[in-house]
Amino acid sequence: MFLTPRASRSGSIAHVPAIETERLTKFYGSHRGIEELTLSVQEGEVFGFLGPNGAGKTTTIRTLLDLLHPSSGSARIFGLDSRRDSVAIRARLGNLPGDFGFGKHATGREALAVLARLRGIERTDRAQELARRLRADLTRPLGQLSRGNRQKVGLILALFHRPELLVFDEPTSGLDPLMQEEFLALVREERERGCTIFLSSHELDEVQRVCDRVGIIRDGRLIAVERVEDLVGRTQRHVSVEFAAPVELDELRACPGVSSVQAEGVTVKFRVAGDIDPVVKAISRHTVVDLEFARPTLEEVFLTYYEEEPR
Amino acid sequence: MIALVIAQLNERRRSPLSWGLPLGLWSAFVVGIYPSIESALSKAVRNYPHALKEAFGIGELSTVREYLHAEMLSLIVPLAVGYLAVRAVSSALSGAAESGRLDVLLSAPVSRRAIVAAGFIATAIELLIVLLLALLLAMLGSALAGAGLPFSSALAGFLNVWPLALLFAALGIVATGVTLRTSIVTGAVAGVLVGMYVLDLVGRLDTSLDGIRYASVFRYYGKAVEEGIDPLSFIGVTATAVALAAVGAVLFERRDLSV
Repeated sequence: MFLTPRASRSGSIAHVPAIETERLTKFYGSHRGIEELTLSVQEGEVFGFLGPNGAGKTTTIRTLLDLLHPSSGSARIFGLDSRRDSVAIRARLGNLPGDFGFGKHATGREALAVLARLRGIERTDRAQELARRLRADLTRPLGQLSRGNRQKVGLILALFHRPELLVFDEPTSGLDPLMQEEFLALVREERERGCTIFLSSHELDEVQRVCDRVGIIRDGRLIAVERVEDLVGRTQRHVSVEFAAPVELDELRACPGVSSVQAEGVTVKFRVAGDIDPVVKAISRHTVVDLEFARPTLEEVFLTYYEEEPR
Repeated sequence: MIALVIAQLNERRRSPLSWGLPLGLWSAFVVGIYPSIESALSKAVRNYPHALKEAFGIGELSTVREYLHAEMLSLIVPLAVGYLAVRAVSSALSGAAESGRLDVLLSAPVSRRAIVAAGFIATAIELLIVLLLALLLAMLGSALAGAGLPFSSALAGFLNVWPLALLFAALGIVATGVTLRTSIVTGAVAGVLVGMYVLDLVGRLDTSLDGIRYASVFRYYGKAVEEGIDPLSFIGVTATAVALAAVGAVLFERRDLSV
């Protein structure tokens, strides 16, 4: 773990959050970017940042990285001011932008050489190892690579110097399913190493599998921060059960968290939120021919919060 | 900083050939044909209107230096290299922002000022390489045709373009402090480049408007290939370019990096 100590007034040592924002606000002229975003990500945590397009995810990340200047509020990374100390902060982080690019002509190897020189790193063994794992081609000009293959190079540049904080903006966009799995494995390894990870994503499944907590942003405002298991527990899953014979629906309706129960012959469809165990037990009292469980889509997760949050 | 300069030069490694080679070959051709057209040219020029000769810096064209100045160094080379300077600096800043390169560079522990300074220094080096390549090819043309172009005169002529072009690179940096759209930066500063040339031209054509020439950097450009470099103008324009680049760096540091 890369714990950053900070002396408190009493003289004891407290560990500062890896990321801490206080009423962080960014307006583009009269257009809202993010508004009064207060957030804390602990060191060693994998924090997912979910929101629809235009919600303010990228604005938040770019403000944290000092690419955008906040209209008001503040952001601190490892206790350092995101504006004043941006160079010192960047020495400790790795960043993968949403659409990685480094010019059309440069190869991945050239981009790596530039970044290694800027970071004062002579050996790039870790980068070569990552390139093998991700099957990334570092020899071809980036302009000739597909978006997914460019993202692989971007991932290598974000990870090769073993940073203390990783900031990923939609990291798996363009990656094929195998590489997405490899990415998630890398995230787990980095967490094991003690790295803090801030991951903006559209993929609920991806977030569920690697994140400890999730922040949900809507219209530039952070509307919820939840542990991943709580988030999934709150969201409704779609269930479709085909029984051997028609069943009494009241039995299912009586289960906590069950709603929208509909029967079509011997097939019963309903939604369930929270604990699934009573539902499974109720179903198991009958002969089940087929059972389908659909995870909620990201939009449905958002709806759960949108319906609660007054606009 | 050195790493950034090397990276920038590497990104634009084709530029000396794509700009220096055509300018150099053209200069070599101009110098090379001079001995064969010298006498006819002198007779023809004597009949040119005085205002035309004054406007385009055409003397009697009785020497290869005068001819090189009239054909290349009074208009084509300064405008072309000035435009290259804007292109180079906008590629390093606004172009890098558009391609995502800037986001990646700024994930490393470097300041925006360092990136601007590196872009400016790399542009200065690139311009120097382009001008020296053009100079060498012009000298080669002179040697092959026996035109007798003095090296020191040619060196002064080509080198004198450097501060002028650097000033437009600096204006390009100031423009990126306002917008990160490469097409706007390049178009606006190229417009200023042509505008300054026209301003100087009008001032030379109409002596009553001579005062407006002070608003143009071409007022301080002169005829170095014939008269040598004016150190005061050379240093003054270079210092102005550096000062403008510094202003641009401050603007660039203060702005949001979103295209």
